[in-house]
Order: sequence, then C-alpha cells, then structure tokens
Amino acid sequence: MRKTQTPASGSATLTSPMSDRVVEVSGLRKIYKVHERQSGLGATVRSLVKRTFKEVQAVAGIDFAIERGEVVGFLGPNGAGKTTTLKMLSGLLYPTSGTATVLGYTPWDRRDEYLRRMTLLMGNRTQLVWDIPAADSFLVLKEIFRIDDKSYQRRFDDLVELLELQPLIHKPVRQLSLGERMKVEFAAGLLHAPEVVFLDEPTLGLDVSMQVRIRGFVRELNKRTGATVLLTSHYMDDIVALCKRVIVIHHGKLLYDGGLADLAERMAPYKLVAATLRDGAADADLSKYGEIVSRDAGRVTLRVPRAQAADQTARIVGELGPDLADLTLEDPAIEEVIDRVFSGDHPFGTPEREPVAAR
Amino acid sequence: MNLARIYRALLLAGFQQAAQYRIQSLLWMLFAIIRPVIFLAAWVAVAAAQGGDIGGYKVGDFAAYFVCMTFVSQLTMAWNSHEFEWEVNQGRLSAKLLRPLHPLHYSVVENLVFKLNTLPVLVVVLILISISFGAIYRTQPWHVIAFIPSVLLAAALLFTFNWVIASLAFWATRMRTANTLFQRASFVFAGQIAPIGLMPGWLQALSYALPFWYMMGAPTEILRGGVTVEQLPLILAGQAAWLVVTLFAFSWIWRRGVRAYSAVGA
Repeated sequence: MRKTQTPASGSATLTSPMSDRVVEVSGLRKIYKVHERQSGLGATVRSLVKRTFKEVQAVAGIDFAIERGEVVGFLGPNGAGKTTTLKMLSGLLYPTSGTATVLGYTPWDRRDEYLRRMTLLMGNRTQLVWDIPAADSFLVLKEIFRIDDKSYQRRFDDLVELLELQPLIHKPVRQLSLGERMKVEFAAGLLHAPEVVFLDEPTLGLDVSMQVRIRGFVRELNKRTGATVLLTSHYMDDIVALCKRVIVIHHGKLLYDGGLADLAERMAPYKLVAATLRDGAADADLSKYGEIVSRDAGRVTLRVPRAQAADQTARIVGELGPDLADLTLEDPAIEEVIDRVFSGDHPFGTPEREPVAAR
Repeated sequence: MNLARIYRALLLAGFQQAAQYRIQSLLWMLFAIIRPVIFLAAWVAVAAAQGGDIGGYKVGDFAAYFVCMTFVSQLTMAWNSHEFEWEVNQGRLSAKLLRPLHPLHYSVVENLVFKLNTLPVLVVVLILISISFGAIYRTQPWHVIAFIPSVLLAAALLFTFNWVIASLAFWATRMRTANTLFQRASFVFAGQIAPIGLMPGWLQALSYALPFWYMMGAPTEILRGGVTVEQLPLILAGQAAWLVVTLFAFSWIWRRGVRAYSAVGA
C-alpha cells in the first residue's frame, strides 16, 4: 500500500482501485550448489572423500511487478534464470534471498489456496497419466482443485472448443502426438481457471501451425478470463504476438523491463534505411549516409544512428531524388536486437554512444 | 469430505490404469512371494529333519508362519522409494508439487490399487500353499479381529517409513543405499528370515525395540495365532508408537526436503 497522498486526491486514493499488482518480486536471488566432480576414476574416488561444491548464481537479485491481466514476455538466453524465476514464483523452488508475492501469497509456502489460483505450464512437462484418456485425468484434477460440477463442465467445454480437443480427449495420452499432448496438458493446467499463468516454453518442439494455435489460445485465454500471464519462450514470434511488455534477463540480472516496442529503441540505437535505386543508378555510393548492411542489386540497406535517421533519410531523398524507386525506414528485427544484447557486443544502457561507429 | 472425493477419483483412475497392467501386476506379486515360500520350504525341511520341532515350532507352525508372513508382506508392501528417486531426479515431482494435494496421496492410491487387484489371486495361491505344506493355525476368532488393526498399522508404518527413506532423494542423488540398508534390516528384524521367537535373546530384544518387526512380524504372529491376549495390547501399542514417531520424522524430513528440492530438468 502506498501512503503517499496528495491533498487533491486524498479521499480518492482510498477508494479508487489501487494499482492491482498480482506479482511483486524484490531482490529475488537463487544460488544453486552444484556438486563438482571431474571425470575419471581418481576424481571419482577423491569425490567420495571430499565433495567440492560450486555455487552457481542462477538469479542474481531481480525486481519487477506485474499488474492483473498483463501478458508479459520473459526473455533471456538459455541459463539466464528465466525458468528458475518461474519455478520460484510457482513455489517449486525456495529462493536464496529476496521476496516475492503472487496474489498476496508467498509462493514457496505452497499454500493450497495459492496452488488453486495459479498454474505453471511447461512445454516439456507432463502431468497427465499416460495410460488413461485425458478426460479421466481431468476428473481427478477436478476433485484435487475442488472445482464444482457447473464450473467444471463450463470450463471443460470451453477448453475443448478453444483447443479443439474433441478427438483427443478420450484417447490414452500416450497415443497422442507431442503437439496434441501439449494441447491436452494446457487444458489440464487451466481447468481450475488460474488467475496467474506461468508459461515456460509453451511452444517448444511444436510445428509452426501448432505454435500459432497455442499463441492464439493464450491470447484468447487472457482476453476471456483476464488471467495474468508470464511467458518465456525461445521463439520471438511468441513474444511479439502476445506481449506488449517484456522483461529481459541475462546472467540472472534484469536488463530491461518495458514495452516491446521500446525495447528496439533502447537496445538498438539505430534504424535501418532501405533504398531501392532505379536501374540507371544502381551503383550509386550510399556509404556517406550510413553503414551499408547489405546490397542486393538495386536495393541497399543502411544502418543509421537513430538520432540521425530522419535527417539522413531526408538527405537521401534530397540528393538521390529521381534515382530512388522506393525508400523505407524501419526498426531492426527484434530477434536481431535481442541477439546483439545477449551476445554481449552491445553496450546496453548507453544508446547515446554511437554503436555504428564503434562496430 | 473433500479428501474422500479426491480418493474416489484417484482410485477410479488408478483401477483404470492398472487394468492395462493386470498380468504384469499378478506376475510381480507372484515373484514377490517366491522368497518367503523358499524360506517356508527350507524351515519345514529343517524342522522335519530335527524330529518335527524347533524351539517349540512344529512343522505345521512354520508353514502357518510363513504363509501368514507372505500374506502380511504383500498387504504391507510399499515401494514408493524406488520411484521417488527417479521422480526427484527427473523433475517429475514438480507436477505433483504444483497441485494442492500432498504427493503422498498418489502413492497411497497406487498402493491400494495394486493390493486390491492382486488380493484375490494371492489368497487362492496362499490357500494352496497352506494345504500342500500342512500348515497348522492356532488362530482364535479374536486373532482375526485383532489382525485387522494390526495389519493396517503395519501397512501405514511401513508406508510412512518408506517415504522417510524416499525423502532422502532430495539430498542424495542415489538413495538406493539407504533403501538396501532398510531391506537388509527388515529382512532380519521383521521376522522374514525366521520367527523372532527363534532368535537369540538379545536379537529378540532388539527386534522388539526396532520398528521393523511391527511392519510385518507383529501382524503375522497375530494372524497365525501365536500371540496371547496379554501380549496383544503391547504389540498394538508398539505399532502405534512407531507409526507416530515415523509420521513426525516424515513431516520433518519432507519439509526440509522440499526446501532443498531443486526441480531439476523441469
């Protein structure tokens, strides 16, 4: 609760809906102790006597908050700490230090009331019994999550319709393909209508059309139920399709938290100018306007510092006018931006420096 | 009761699942009774060679003891610790931990399903063995009544103890050693090798103090009628006491274990 009140809005703040934070994370850290052992017989024998442990910091103190109904993308390369964070938020892992509350609960207390209101869906995880049809597993989940008959029937029908489960639901789970199983797992994890949904790589290993459908489903879920979604994915398409806001972590630290659109601006302080030249001028030298990224027949792509993008574009139009067939100004592809950040060749947080010249 | 509804649903799913493994379950059960039957045959042979009596146990008593022991060990059997190590190391426990139901309940149901599924065949097999070895039961009607709480206590005790061992998997990647140790100890002290009454005094005393005999030996002796009315309350009290201790140990180790759980893999 924030106590700051201005006189003008003093009484209003008491009744107006406060910012409805569903997830609040502060200083969250997780250090794994990993038993270290070299290969070979000697090392094995030594490790029996003296075990050496290495501490691995998976999450190095992160802070963020998520409002009710948001769909937030959680980005980072393998080992960045995304999954560890999700596991802490869903109560599977105890943090080394820091705090988190989700829906007002401390996740790792693993209170039943909390577990009934959230879900963690993992792309490579199975929670259904393999030997029986999913519909029968659902009936078990219905009782475990204490879902009343009416709500159950409604959600069951909804999920069957949205995910097109009708042909799958009565087959033993082991007979389903990976994509089919994933859809059924989704349904299983959502029967209790969780208010918070943690999705870890929901489209991992699925073919493109199935990825698209899962995406559509998550969007629909958020729209219909107002569920808050925190999603990790390797596929930028997932993030672009679903999330207005992204949180980027790298080496367990928070690199960026904000709009997806601003991410490109913050992380890629340049724009791409693509000029298509008419046949007669195909060889014109454009290097004075910016760094040439590619040249393909008459089409030249230039990397121009963001601040100069407008001026340079105007210059190109002014000086090459009649020779230009087409001219576009765009942001670099988000994958490329992210890739540059993670590969470490981008001085993150100092967009004013001139990365074009620095390269 | 909500838990009753959960159990009903779990049992339904469990029986449905087990239906596909009926033959496998029966074979597993039959394999499990080979060992006690071998001991039965051996002791019957030894007793016969010694003139039909060892320490007050007649040939028919040995037969009855091992038939009852086989029955009890099937009814009290718990195998969770074998699977649990795998569940922890593969991260499969995670899915269970994410549900508002203690993971223990799933294995209670699995345990019940297996036992109920194999019970009819087990009883038939044991009756045949009983007849062919000429077992003599000294069982009174009150023994049969007393057997029910005793075997339930024994099953609960062995099950909980098994979970204590299973929980070691949270720390040790290989907890099989602990499991093996438990198997060996219960082999001697639970009366699987021979009735405790035949052991040297100090070993007998030790067996009555340790929990193992209360997991198998106690209900076995009650069922074959080897227990007096005066001994009965003591035996049941011993079983209950060890169950309480084990339950506390489990809840203590489990709470710490879940904290140490690293949810690897997934």
